[in-house]
Amino acid sequence: MTAPRGFVRDNALGLAFGGLFLVTLLGQAISGTADFNAEQVANGLEPVSFGDYVTSSSFGVDVMENWQSEYLQFFLYVFATVWLVQRGSAESKEPGDEGMESDEEQRVGAHARADSPAWVRAGGWRTTLFSRSLGLVMGGLFLLTWTASSVAGWAAFNSEQLADREDPVSWVGYLGEADFWNRSFQNWQSEMLAVGSMAVLSVYLRQRGSPESKPVGVAHAETGETG
Amino acid sequence: MIAARVVPAVAAGAVVLSGCASTQEPDVRDVATAFTDAGGDPAERCELLAEAARTALESEESAPCADALPGLPLGGGAVQEVAVWGGNAQVRLTGDTVFLTETSAGWRVTAAACIPQEEGPYECEVGS
Repeated sequence: MTAPRGFVRDNALGLAFGGLFLVTLLGQAISGTADFNAEQVANGLEPVSFGDYVTSSSFGVDVMENWQSEYLQFFLYVFATVWLVQRGSAESKEPGDEGMESDEEQRVGAHARADSPAWVRAGGWRTTLFSRSLGLVMGGLFLLTWTASSVAGWAAFNSEQLADREDPVSWVGYLGEADFWNRSFQNWQSEMLAVGSMAVLSVYLRQRGSPESKPVGVAHAETGETG
Repeated sequence: MIAARVVPAVAAGAVVLSGCASTQEPDVRDVATAFTDAGGDPAERCELLAEAARTALESEESAPCADALPGLPLGGGAVQEVAVWGGNAQVRLTGDTVFLTETSAGWRVTAAACIPQEEGPYECEVGS
């Protein structure tokens, strides 16, 4: 008989990354305060406290501009992998399986099972919505964090405008500023590179034991297998 | 697959950082009007200058701030508009535009007697 696995072991991946998230966010807050204050002193202004910095628009935009690009990445990836394949990739379905797939493959409608999620067994609009819930939530979180990024970026931009003795701009005006698009694109491009690299590199490279990789001995041409 | 295995550990909340602009406006307004008030005591008005602006003014005019201030073209007048963003502020008066920064001693003027340019920053007599 095997011992109960326990909550921590069963949720180790989520807990580890949740913890790493908090540690790295704290690291960003500490180094961000030091960086911000170095600039304040260089401009003949007073340094700010840690509390003032983490509630400032400068910290807010630096956090939000990264969050929005992560959610954009997963939103696009979730939808793109429905319709696009990469032969040999652990990140892809088999070529020929493009599209929404049959009810039987997806275990919906008449093929729902007793242990299927409640909204799958319910049918109708609930099943339609649940069938797209991962992409919709990722897309919703992207829009939410991108909007937050624009608001925090607007406040930080206007603070800099005033420090530089220039007029502040409206929120709509900020959406037309290079600052907003530079912050967005510099994060987006890195996400596209990372996803594209993973899709292609997982064709030819392996990580033994990782579900992000094919089993080590699987042929390069085999698609969709995970180890 | 990456996406399917993501555990959304923390729900993203939109951090709307509007700051405390509205609560700061009276202080900003008071400092800007007191500094540009030609009838005020020059020494007291000089206390309202940020340190870097005061140093620059005294160096440029080769005189103590209180002696140099009355000779500067500070327009002053009634407050038309106040903008506060983070630790920086701008006050438009009928005869001047003043820029301020928040310090531990309160709001202080970083630039005054400012004229808008076609492009780029205002040209300021005080604090440039």
